[in-house]
Amino acid sequence: MFRYLLYRLLYGLMVLLGATVVVFFIFNVLPGDPVAMMAGQRTDVSTREAIAKELGLFEPLHKQLYLYMRDLSPVSVHEDSEQEFEKYDYKKMLKVGDNSYLVLKSPYMRRSFQSNKRVSEIIWENLEGTFWLAFVAMLFATFFGVLMGILASLKPNSPLDHFMVSLSVIGISAPSFVLGAIVAMVFGFYLSEYTGLNPTGQLWDVDLDGRKLVWKNIILPAFTLGLRPLAIIVQLTRSSMLDVLSQDYIRTARAKGLYYYQIILKHALKNAMNPVITAVSGWLASLMAGAFFVEKVFNWNGLGRVTIDAIYNLDFPIIMGVTIFVAFIFIVVNIFVDMLYALVDPRVRIK
Amino acid sequence: MVNPRIVSKLKDSKHIDPDFLLEVRNLTTVFQTEEAEVKAVDNISFNLRRGETLGIVGESGSGKSVSALSIMKLIQHPGRIENGNIFFNSPTKGVVDLRLLSEKEMLFERGNEISMIFQEPMTSLNPVFTCGDQVVETILIHRKVSSKEAKELALELFKKVELPRPEQIFNAYPHEISGGQKQRVMIAMAMCCNPSLLIADEPTTALDVTVQSRILDLMRQLRDENDMSIIFITHDLGVVAEIADKVAVMFHGKIVEQGSVWDIFSNPQHPYTKSLLACRPRLDIKMKVLPVVSDFMDVNDHGVISEKVNHKYGSVGEAILLNFTDDDEIEERNQFLLTQPPQLEVKNLKMYFPINKGIFGRSKEFVKAVDDVSFTVYPGETVGLVGESGCGKTTLGRAILRLIEPTDGQIIFEGKDITKLNKDELRKMRKDIQIIFQDPYSSLNPRMTIGEAILEPMRVNKIFDTDFHRKKYTIELLERVNLTKRHFERYPHEFSGGQRQRICIARALALNPKFIICDESVSALDVSVQAQVLNLLNELKKDFNFTYIFISHDLSVVKFMSDRIIVMNKGKIEEIGYAAEIYDNPKTEYTSRLIKSIPKGDLEDIRKAQLQRHLKKLIKSQQ
Repeated sequence: MFRYLLYRLLYGLMVLLGATVVVFFIFNVLPGDPVAMMAGQRTDVSTREAIAKELGLFEPLHKQLYLYMRDLSPVSVHEDSEQEFEKYDYKKMLKVGDNSYLVLKSPYMRRSFQSNKRVSEIIWENLEGTFWLAFVAMLFATFFGVLMGILASLKPNSPLDHFMVSLSVIGISAPSFVLGAIVAMVFGFYLSEYTGLNPTGQLWDVDLDGRKLVWKNIILPAFTLGLRPLAIIVQLTRSSMLDVLSQDYIRTARAKGLYYYQIILKHALKNAMNPVITAVSGWLASLMAGAFFVEKVFNWNGLGRVTIDAIYNLDFPIIMGVTIFVAFIFIVVNIFVDMLYALVDPRVRIK
Repeated sequence: MVNPRIVSKLKDSKHIDPDFLLEVRNLTTVFQTEEAEVKAVDNISFNLRRGETLGIVGESGSGKSVSALSIMKLIQHPGRIENGNIFFNSPTKGVVDLRLLSEKEMLFERGNEISMIFQEPMTSLNPVFTCGDQVVETILIHRKVSSKEAKELALELFKKVELPRPEQIFNAYPHEISGGQKQRVMIAMAMCCNPSLLIADEPTTALDVTVQSRILDLMRQLRDENDMSIIFITHDLGVVAEIADKVAVMFHGKIVEQGSVWDIFSNPQHPYTKSLLACRPRLDIKMKVLPVVSDFMDVNDHGVISEKVNHKYGSVGEAILLNFTDDDEIEERNQFLLTQPPQLEVKNLKMYFPINKGIFGRSKEFVKAVDDVSFTVYPGETVGLVGESGCGKTTLGRAILRLIEPTDGQIIFEGKDITKLNKDELRKMRKDIQIIFQDPYSSLNPRMTIGEAILEPMRVNKIFDTDFHRKKYTIELLERVNLTKRHFERYPHEFSGGQRQRICIARALALNPKFIICDESVSALDVSVQAQVLNLLNELKKDFNFTYIFISHDLSVVKFMSDRIIVMNKGKIEEIGYAAEIYDNPKTEYTSRLIKSIPKGDLEDIRKAQLQRHLKKLIKSQQ
């Protein structure tokens, strides 16, 4: 088990490296003059050169890649100077040269062209909103998806089954920005008297007394965001359950004299969950990546909104940082899921 | 304690015989399909006394499994029990009609007073729970014990069913133990509440013969110890002879004949029973042609069976006598074969598979699937390859064709070393050596008409100039394997297993091969269909002068087909010899054990077994 985990971690690191390289090259061939964007109206040549040097734009491409990777790596070699320390905020570990140290630091994703804020700070500030939104959406989708999927599978081709399947087809095919707008209009505006919900809103309400958590604001965006995964989970659970219910060991369970609900909940469900876990985790990861449209429609502060704004402004460090961060989230979630498989299905453990 | 409400339904049983256990009366189970209602079980009746074993014999689709599931009331939509009574003498409730019991009352019976084991031990245990948990679960449903006591009971049962290292197996998941062990776990699960009736649906079919014989021993022993009755469902008459007291033969949902084992085997009445008895390949004598069902009877369009008027064989004995190959003929043929130069020589062939791959893909350990094997095959000869599952016989067959790359050794086919051929030469060589696989269901592409499937290899190997000629030859081939021109445009799902295997044979013939490897080609077929396919293979051999390597786990089939037999065990050759020689004087202990384990179903054995049963009963009643 431990070896398996180690192997998965190693593999994940390789994927992250690959993703970083790809992201780096993509953004290097895109048009846009970073110096002009950072310098703004000031066209002083020396300022421009200083900025270009700071960004390493005079260096050849492979050197730039190396510098970028070095900035990202949590373990790297740097010269010990006040300037460097201010940039990286590192902890010295080992002296490796005259004034060079092997240092431990949090990945440095450079600074926004626009606000000159650290990208890591921007991601961190907006992560909370996205995380809760994605988490609540998936919780909602998983719970109701599995439940509806089981109900549909118990009586295949019955009216209930057809109803569930048609509903999920609608859920899959409706685009989230259309759905988001409708949901916001209907429940947040026309029916707001009864529901007490706002069409847009934040997780934190800031007023004079400080910050206040407003959970009800998450309901509409999470519902909108969860509908598509819900629909897919319904279908996956249904087909996976139908497959499992026709297996020989279900017949064995019936021949033992088990109650029907015991067979479904104990013997069938645990076997049917594997594809559902894959779907849930994949969706969780991609929702974390930012539910761009939903965040925009509901004016929700999150990674998705930040990314869209950054794209408008060609603010490369943010786009690159978010992309790599999302790749990182995907990898972590996948490793977690692989471990979960091994827990649910003992057959995965060998290898 | 007798429940009057239910007994009253048992009209004619004023006095209940204490040994009475089960009576199935006029049971009919139907399945609703889109076109029509299909009677899977059609008005069958039988009865069973305490301690008795009834064997239900029939081919796939004859309704034997459905009858068993009907008794358990486990028939699922779209099937339903339409008619009949199932009277069961329950130890706690007295005589009840299972058909009238509510689902809740049935839950009490299932796994408790009536339990069941299934054919596929591989898939019948839930893969995500440990073996121990699954047995404990059953105990906890029906017995009022703590989970600690249940665990002790389960371990005791594991010892009783002779599982090695019971504690380890208790904590093992099903995929971690062997097929035979899984079936023992299933038996332990079925036995955990001391059932009065055990229904065993083909419990040994998926197992090797040696494992099968040990499982049968175990079942006999448990039956005698617990005074339990067994309904033993199987397609193999030989197995029935080993364990049953009574036999019911099923055909198309009906019981066509039932009686004591002795009567059925010594004096079968129904033509279907006769043909079933005659079409099994025998170990003691070599037959020229296997009798088939159609030699004995006809079935008309309405499913009515009639005995053939001008039948080829009057009885089973006649069928065997008329077909006997005498020793001189065999000797003459063997001598002739040896006068030719060998067609295939396998020298020191090794096939290792790596296990435990390290981080850098370097493997430290190997499974020696084929370990230093050498033999020769002469033109026109049939060499049988037998052994238990995992002995390396299939791997050997595939290595000869280089479908998998052998680790080491030489394979010389007509003077050329196959292992040294390059890609092009190898493709040309494959034309001469063809393989017919085990599973006719998965070895045909479901999206290709069978005509296309046969034509395709010809096109690839550029046999004939135009598709017109190829098509003509394909139709000839179809007719050769007893199919017709009409079948050319059909898809595989429209054919039965036997027909599909014949299509696979036709596909192999399309390239005019000299050498055919049959890899368990008849193992998935019913005995009567198996007989047809074996006969066809023999005819083709005569007509085209093929050389065969015939791989099978079934020694009686191999003996019928082969001139010489190679017995394999754990990747090595145990012995090579002439078929009769191997059977009469096995040289190694392994071979003799293999032969001894085969259920033969001959009358002498049945008489002995029945006598023994009788004596045991007498002794028990006197005690």
